[in-house]
Amino acid sequence: MSSILQKLITPLFCGPPEPPRNKVTVVGVGQVGMACAISILLRELADELALVDVMEDKLKGEMMDLQHGSLFLKTPKIIADKDYSVTANSRIVVVTAGVRQQEGESRLNLVQRNVNIFKHIVPQIVRYSPDCIIIVVSNPVDVLTYVTWKLSGLPKHRVIGSGTNLDSARFRFLMADKLGIHPSSFNGWILGEHGDTSVPVWSGTNVAGVNLQLLNPDIGTDSDEENWKETHKMVVNSAYEVIKLKGYTNWAIGLSVADLTETLMRNLNRIHPVSTMVQGMYGIGDEVYLSLPCVLNSGGVSSVVNMSLADEEVAQLQASANTLWDIQKDLQDL
Amino acid sequence: VSTCLCGSFLHLYLQMSTKEKLISHVMKEEPVGCRNKVTVVGVGMVGMASAVSILLKDLCDELALVDVMEDKLKGEVMDLQHGSLFLKTHKIVADKDYSVTANSKVVVITAGARQQEGESRLNLVQRNVNIFKFIIPNIVKYSPNAILMVVSNPVDILTYVAWKLSGFPRHRVIGSGTNLDSARFRYLMGEKLHLHPSSCHGWIIGEHGDSSVPVWSGVNVAGVSLQALNPQMGAEGDSENWKEVHKMVVDGAYEVIKLKGYTSWAIGMSVADLVESILKNLHKVHPVSTLVQGMHGVKDEVFLSVPCILGNSGLTDVINMTLKPDEEKQLVKSAETLWGVQKELTL
Repeated sequence: MSSILQKLITPLFCGPPEPPRNKVTVVGVGQVGMACAISILLRELADELALVDVMEDKLKGEMMDLQHGSLFLKTPKIIADKDYSVTANSRIVVVTAGVRQQEGESRLNLVQRNVNIFKHIVPQIVRYSPDCIIIVVSNPVDVLTYVTWKLSGLPKHRVIGSGTNLDSARFRFLMADKLGIHPSSFNGWILGEHGDTSVPVWSGTNVAGVNLQLLNPDIGTDSDEENWKETHKMVVNSAYEVIKLKGYTNWAIGLSVADLTETLMRNLNRIHPVSTMVQGMYGIGDEVYLSLPCVLNSGGVSSVVNMSLADEEVAQLQASANTLWDIQKDLQDL
Repeated sequence: VSTCLCGSFLHLYLQMSTKEKLISHVMKEEPVGCRNKVTVVGVGMVGMASAVSILLKDLCDELALVDVMEDKLKGEVMDLQHGSLFLKTHKIVADKDYSVTANSKVVVITAGARQQEGESRLNLVQRNVNIFKFIIPNIVKYSPNAILMVVSNPVDILTYVAWKLSGFPRHRVIGSGTNLDSARFRYLMGEKLHLHPSSCHGWIIGEHGDSSVPVWSGVNVAGVSLQALNPQMGAEGDSENWKEVHKMVVDGAYEVIKLKGYTSWAIGMSVADLVESILKNLHKVHPVSTLVQGMHGVKDEVFLSVPCILGNSGLTDVINMTLKPDEEKQLVKSAETLWGVQKELTL
């Protein structure tokens, strides 16, 4: 007796199913991983989404919850497994796995714990998706992007840290709010370390091409009557504050990762402040990852924009590089 | 610039703030304010999933969040605001005080206790009624013309409660109902037939819960009735065991709760789907919870899900489904169960 499927549908093509063309994997189904996943799904960026984690029940529950929303999405295949074979043929792999900052804890404290986790994760990612681009989100992101690059053996333009994409987004929100405009109409870049020593490039801040530092030469300095420097301070403290209030941050970082994913997936050649290998730039001699304005497309980081930085800003970048190298040189077995 | 200015104006200019130098305000009237404001009450997992789905679908020009847990509330609103660059919702606000919700077009209510592992939705009733006695009058005070979308469980009873407490006409009090159950059903149907859920049509009506009713006669693909192809569909003797699909829908929430502790993403997306139809005046048909007294043999003042037309006035019409006698019997039985609980409530 033939089934409904046989009576209803006459197949015309019986080959093996096509492999995915726009597959994204998210490693880690904690709050950040799931915020990345839902943002990527709602932005319709992937034709297949894979989730991986070690916590099997949580992983299955999250996958099912997303699958139940399939009617409202344009991502027909949502899968999950502890085994990395589920991630095969990904174009982009977002790594959010690892331990997160506790209240008051700095990102650098998390290093060694997360390096050990990455030693397990990264080789498996590369094994199943040797052509992928890896976006590292876990903190401290600049160090872990370096670690991922080393463990993966991938060329440096295919290993990107989410870096100061989020810091810059927070900066643009806070500055725009003060001026009564939409964040996308405020241009400003925060570069360097994603963390306490990030560098706001005040000389580049502008609205409609009107440079704010020309209007207010004291902007960003301690002698500024309007205290614009406070805005950068708020950006640095943002994560700590949100963590203190709700225990973790997820929505903003999730949206920021989806933004990067869109540029990579759609080959847009948009410029984002992301963490990339900066050895040789701005007088930095060590192999460190820091955020600079990068042109991103479907190949990864295609180029870096040479920003004209003030001497003081260059000095800050070099200081960050030194701090990061200090930590990296002690890491075992990379 | 400054060399072109004469002495006294230069003096004034130098005293201006950066903002004043950059921007000249030219509008004399008061700003118009929000036109499509959505409030989400409750910033738990369901509330936040609803909020982020609404934001990512660009549905509103202002989003307000309310809750009693002040730190959590402030943290959540900050986290969303920090994503503003990537969104098209300029104003995201939050407060414990309901004045922040003023002039909302739609108010999504997710506040209240949620099911524990193995707990049925009906168990949550009295706890959530008490919470609603505080929430509903506050919403009404600040948005007397809003459309209320009730999500908290047991949703059918709490939609009735919200209707009674608000004094709103019935077309402005809607329960998220079986919109999610039907979405789960269509997903599972899609998996069975290797089709996208949007091409699989099937309606689950009645109670959002253990006694929901799958209308097998309406299940179709491209207008082809599946029950016409398989008359046993949904019955015990069905070799393809389609009844199991409905069972998986009923068990769906319990299973996800057992695995991850709660459900959030699917209900969040389902809420955004309904809010979209309302704010964009789509006149789309959704299975949502409404007053069904007088329909399908239901005698009591209860809310159950039936296919309804949603637009910017709210729930304006109900589709008259042709149900089998046993389907109608199930609806009447659900209604009686719900009324049994409702009549004990002190409102």
